[in-house]
Amino acid sequence: MKKFEDAKLFVTMVASQQGWELNRDQEHLEILIEGFAKNYNRYGYYSCPCRAASGKKDEDRDIVCPCRYCRPDQEEYGHCFCGLYLTKEYFATGEEPASIPERRKV
Amino acid sequence: MENINFTYEEGKSKAGDVTVYALSTCAFCKKALKFLRENSISFRYVYVDELDYESREELKARLRDKYRESTGFPFLVIDDKTVIVGFNEENYKRHLVK
Repeated sequence: MKKFEDAKLFVTMVASQQGWELNRDQEHLEILIEGFAKNYNRYGYYSCPCRAASGKKDEDRDIVCPCRYCRPDQEEYGHCFCGLYLTKEYFATGEEPASIPERRKV
Repeated sequence: MENINFTYEEGKSKAGDVTVYALSTCAFCKKALKFLRENSISFRYVYVDELDYESREELKARLRDKYRESTGFPFLVIDDKTVIVGFNEENYKRHLVK
């Protein structure tokens, strides 16, 4: 059972290891962290909270966080699909991440 | 989609029949619902991730086939014809706030 603090530690670790920044909007961030905990507790893995996971790991492998689309989205938009992980360059602009097109073919 | 239990929220403003397919875990979905509430727009919504596996997959396929859009969330439909995928406040204002 993962709690909010576990999921928060997870995203903080991922961002730190990858050299990314987390969204500075705390409300946005907390919704996503709660979503991660919920997804872990029902699926058994941290699937992307912004995509409808199947709940079957083989089908969801590409959307387990950090997802396969994170880097391409960061390269094009400065942040991931969820607006969670921002590049340092994008973070420095102070801009607020917005919805971006879905790169995953579903 | 007939068997889906939508939640209805009544607002003072009617911007057409507004349906939102959302995820309970997604920040942009929550922002979209907040926008509709703050602008007092009547709408119905369903959290797609809270449906069972078969219903969820069937719904995604039906949205894709019917509207020819990739099924990103929030997926908002106005009057069964205009589709807005993702949340962009300016776009929402343009389509929903008269």
